[in-house]
Amino acid sequence: MKKVLFILTFISLISVGTIDLNGQCNPDNFANACIPKLASGFNFLKSYKVDGEGGAKDKVEYSYVFTKGTQYMINLCANGAATDGIVVTLFDSGRNKVATSKINGQFITAIAYPCNATGIYYIQYTFDGSAGKCGGSALGFKR
Amino acid sequence: MRLVAIGFMALLIAACGSSKKPDEKAFLESLDSAKTGPTIDEEVISSILQQIPSPLEISVLLKESGTKYNAGILNTSENLSKYNSNYKKALNLGVYGTDLGYTNIYEQNQDGLKYLTSIKSLADGLNIGQFFDIETIGRLATNSKNLDSLLLITTQNFNSINHYLQTQSRANLSVLLLIGGWVEAMQITCQVAAKDIKNKELQEKIGEQKIILEQIVLLLSFYKDDANMASLLKDMEELKGAFDKINITYTYKESTMEIVDGVAVIKDNSTTTINITEQDVEAIRTLTNSIRNKIIS
Repeated sequence: MKKVLFILTFISLISVGTIDLNGQCNPDNFANACIPKLASGFNFLKSYKVDGEGGAKDKVEYSYVFTKGTQYMINLCANGAATDGIVVTLFDSGRNKVATSKINGQFITAIAYPCNATGIYYIQYTFDGSAGKCGGSALGFKR
Repeated sequence: MRLVAIGFMALLIAACGSSKKPDEKAFLESLDSAKTGPTIDEEVISSILQQIPSPLEISVLLKESGTKYNAGILNTSENLSKYNSNYKKALNLGVYGTDLGYTNIYEQNQDGLKYLTSIKSLADGLNIGQFFDIETIGRLATNSKNLDSLLLITTQNFNSINHYLQTQSRANLSVLLLIGGWVEAMQITCQVAAKDIKNKELQEKIGEQKIILEQIVLLLSFYKDDANMASLLKDMEELKGAFDKINITYTYKESTMEIVDGVAVIKDNSTTTINITEQDVEAIRTLTNSIRNKIIS
């Protein structure tokens, strides 16, 4: 009976996991897991799936209009506590780099961006030595 | 052992079957607007749609700046019976979504519940009601301590609706929903600005909507073969004409970063300057009011 319970628990954990037994990425779970990890005071806006499709994609990109006077937070979730080599980089509409989550070789799990210039911004996710190439992210805002 | 295994299989089957599959046929048959598909890849449309900021940002700005709650500037939930076509339902689902967000931010739960009922009705009419968890939202709305959860779940519900519509190749409804929401947020901002004509921050907030309106006009242009969409596009182009007088200057300067408590905190050194006059605001307010009246009537 103990064995059965162990197997059921194990299978349940896999079913709510994010990379299944076939190595398929399930970024929805990572994206949803990221929402409650937004820092206190931030209102949830969007969740983003980061699926490198097993290496077929070297980047995943979204865009959003950020507005002056608003502070945004973008966080990252992947297998384990760290970001599994997933890096988020923010570019302005002219493709100038505004922010990145890889600083001095360190992978940071969240970016806080107090926007000073309204415009379309590109939120780009890349894989830097990532094992799973699979994760999720959430965007929040506060004034 | 066998019983446990059977029980587990049953659980798995139940879990697989629990994702609410809407009646696709009824959904497709219910569409009476924009039956002609766009002439552009749906992925392009989705990528533009996802850029449009949440109307919640405007409501938070108004509350934080000390603006008092004013139910009179919202679309009354009693207008619900006027919305019989899917075109009107989708637009006003967006309008009521913005109004619900506004009441939530100001913790006006009784008003919020009225909008919630109207939203559920419109969503059901478009066969997307399954994405609106009215019971949970209604329960959360009865206690102001649940504000964060309330905002989270309503945002998630609207995101799910938009995502679903886009995956079902029915992004036209998603476009209308977002436009309805944006026009209502514009209307709210313009009404507040009209009573506080010297408020520079509000004027700039209105001016920067030029960037979003350009995306909206682009989106609508993909559907101009549909009579309703073409009419809305004409109105939006007229509004864009008023916005064309506003000059937005962007200056890029490399940002700096520091790590604080495990978070990369950016110091944005870039700036935008928005040149907008009181006359511009008045022209935009008048046109927005006219478009909004067409939408809600």
